[in-house]
Amino acid sequence: MRPDQIWRVASRDLLSTLRDRRTLTSTILIPLLLIPLFTLGLPLLLGNFIGGQAQERQKVGVVGTLPAPLRTALTRDETAPGGSVIRAGVELVPVEDPRAAVQSGEVDAALRAPAPLPTRAGDGAGELEVYAKLGNLRAQTGAFAKVQATVEAYNRDLAVQRLGGLGLGPQTLTPVTLSPIDASPEQERRSGQLAFLIPLLMLNFILSGAMATALDATAGEKERGTLESLLVSPVRRSEVVAGKLLATTITALTTALFSVAGFLLTGVLSRTLLAGNGANAELTQAFGGQLTLTLGGGLALLGTVVSAALLISAILIALSIYARSYKEAQTYVTPLSLAIVFPAVLLQFSDFLTLGDGIYAIPLFGSMVAILDVVRGNLTAGHALSAIGANLLGALLLGLLALRSFHREEVIFRN
Amino acid sequence: MLDIQNLSKTYGRYTALRDVSLTAGEGEVFGLLGPNGAGKTTLLRILATLLQPTAGRASVAGHDVGREPEAVRRAIGVVNGGMGLPARLTGREVLRSFAGFYGMTRAQADTRVAELDAALELGRTLDTRAGEYSTGMKQKVVIARAVIHDPQVLILDEAASGLDIFARRTLLDFVAAARRPGRLTLYSTHVMSEAEEVCDRVAILHQGELVTVGAIPEILTRTGERTLERAFFALVRGMDGEATRAS
Repeated sequence: MRPDQIWRVASRDLLSTLRDRRTLTSTILIPLLLIPLFTLGLPLLLGNFIGGQAQERQKVGVVGTLPAPLRTALTRDETAPGGSVIRAGVELVPVEDPRAAVQSGEVDAALRAPAPLPTRAGDGAGELEVYAKLGNLRAQTGAFAKVQATVEAYNRDLAVQRLGGLGLGPQTLTPVTLSPIDASPEQERRSGQLAFLIPLLMLNFILSGAMATALDATAGEKERGTLESLLVSPVRRSEVVAGKLLATTITALTTALFSVAGFLLTGVLSRTLLAGNGANAELTQAFGGQLTLTLGGGLALLGTVVSAALLISAILIALSIYARSYKEAQTYVTPLSLAIVFPAVLLQFSDFLTLGDGIYAIPLFGSMVAILDVVRGNLTAGHALSAIGANLLGALLLGLLALRSFHREEVIFRN
Repeated sequence: MLDIQNLSKTYGRYTALRDVSLTAGEGEVFGLLGPNGAGKTTLLRILATLLQPTAGRASVAGHDVGREPEAVRRAIGVVNGGMGLPARLTGREVLRSFAGFYGMTRAQADTRVAELDAALELGRTLDTRAGEYSTGMKQKVVIARAVIHDPQVLILDEAASGLDIFARRTLLDFVAAARRPGRLTLYSTHVMSEAEEVCDRVAILHQGELVTVGAIPEILTRTGERTLERAFFALVRGMDGEATRAS
C-alpha cells in the first residue's frame, strides 16, 4: 500500500465531510454542548432541586393532635450562626383525610397518630402514620425526609431525658458508634456518576462522528456514482479501503477530541458555578463527579479511544458498503448505537459483577470497562493492552472484510 | 491498442456477454452500438477492470485486464452516464485529486486543468461546488476527470445520455478532437446518429453477442441501407430470424 495514495483518498473524503454543516454540528457543537449539559447541567439542576427542598417550608397535614414538643420540633427552623436558615421547618395544617390531602396536593405529607403518642420514653410505644407520595423524589427529599429526621431526633431527646433521670448520659444509647471510612482511591471517589457517563458519551460521539464520513464515503459514493470513477483510477482497492478507514477514524477522533474538550469545559464551569455554593455543591458533586487523569491513565485512555474509533470506523465501512444508498446504510448502522448504549448502561451495575480479565478482550465492551477504570484510576496495563488489542484485531478483520467487499462485483454494483 | 478474444460474462444463468472477439487500433474512435441490455456496459466494465470476465481474455494498451489491472487503469480514462461528482468539492479540487492519483505534481495538474478548461469550456464551473452543477456542467467535469492524465484509451459509455444540445455538441467535438495517433477512443451508445458522426469503425452488439464489426460505410454497403440505424435493424432482424429458425 502506498501512503500517499491512502492520504489522497482520505483527504478527499475529509474535505467533503468538513464542508457538510450537519456533520460539523454533530462532530463539534453537539459534544461541546451535550457533555457539559449531561455531566454538570443535570447534576447541578438536581442538586439545586434537592438542596432547595431544605430551605423550602413544606405543608404537612395533621389529623388530630400531636405532642407539643413534637409540633415545636417539626415547625422549628435550623439557622446558621449568622441567622440564615439552613433548614426550614414545616407548616402544620389540620386535615380530615390524610391520604386525600396528599393526593390532591393540598399538603406535601400528612401525619396521623391512631392513638395518643407517648411524651416520655418508657411510657409505652406509639405509632405515627406518615402519608406521602413515596415514589416522588420531591416528597421523599422534602417533607417526608424532614418528618423522618425530626421524629428520630424527638425519640432520641425523650430517651436522653429518661436516661438523664437515671443518671446515665446520652452515650448510653450508642455504646458502639460506626465510623465509615471510604477506602476507595481518591480518583475513584471523586469520579462519581461521571465514571459511567464518560464511556457512554465518548463511544457514542465516536460513533456519530464516524457515521457521517463512513456512510458518505461508501454508500454515498455508490449512490452519487463517484465510487466507480475512483475504482478505475490507479489507486488499489486496499488503498481505497485504508483511505476511507483513515478519513472515518480521523472524523471519529475529532468528535472524541471535542467530547474531551466538553469534559474540560465542564470542569471549568463546575469550578465557577459551584464555588461557595456549600451543600448544593456537595449534592451536585454526588450526582456528577470530577475527572482526574494521571499521565498513564491519559495515555491508556488515548490508546483505547483511538483503537475504538478505528474499530467503529471499520464496522461502519464494512456494513455500509453493502448498502445501495445513504439512507439504506443508515438503517444498517442505526442498531450500532444500541450496541453501545446497552452495554454502557450495564456498566452502572459493574460493581455487582465480578469482571474477569477476559471482559477486556471483548471488542468495544472491553474499551468501555477500560475507560471506566481509567476514570476511576484503577486500570492496569494488562487490561489496557487487552482492550486496545481486541479493538485493533477487530478493526483488522473488519477492514479485511471491507476490502473483500470492495473486490466483489455484486457489492460494488449493487445499486 | 485493444484486443478482445472470446470474451464471455455470465451472472448465474444469465449471459451478459457471449464469446466476443474484436480489435481496435490507435488513432481511431471505435463505436460500441446496441440497445440497452446488449452487453456494452458489461464489456466496457471488463475493459476498465471493474468486472472479471467468465471466459476469454482482453488487453488494453498492451496490458492484460486480468493480470495487470493497475497498468490498465493507468492507461485508461472512463466516463459513463451514471458517473457523478462529490457534491461538496469544486471541479478544480476533483481534478487535482485525480491528477494526484495518477502521480502528477500540483504544477502538472494545474497546467493540465488549464488545457482542459480551454478544450471543454469549463470556465467558472471549475471553482463552483459540484452540487450546484447542471447536468451538462457535471458531465464536462466528469470528462475532464477521465482525461486528466491524457489516457491512451478513453472509454465513453453512454456519455451523452441526459445532456442538452449544447453539452452534447461539446462532447461530440471533444471526441472528434481526441482522434490522434497513439490514442484510442471507445464510444458506446445506443444512438446511431452519434456513432455515425464520430466513429470510424463500430461493433454492433445484441443480446450479449457481437453482430458485426467494421467501418460504417462498409456496414452500410453490406446491408444495403442508407443509415446506421436501418443497418442495425436489418442485422438484428437477421440475427433474430436465424435464432428463430434454429429453435
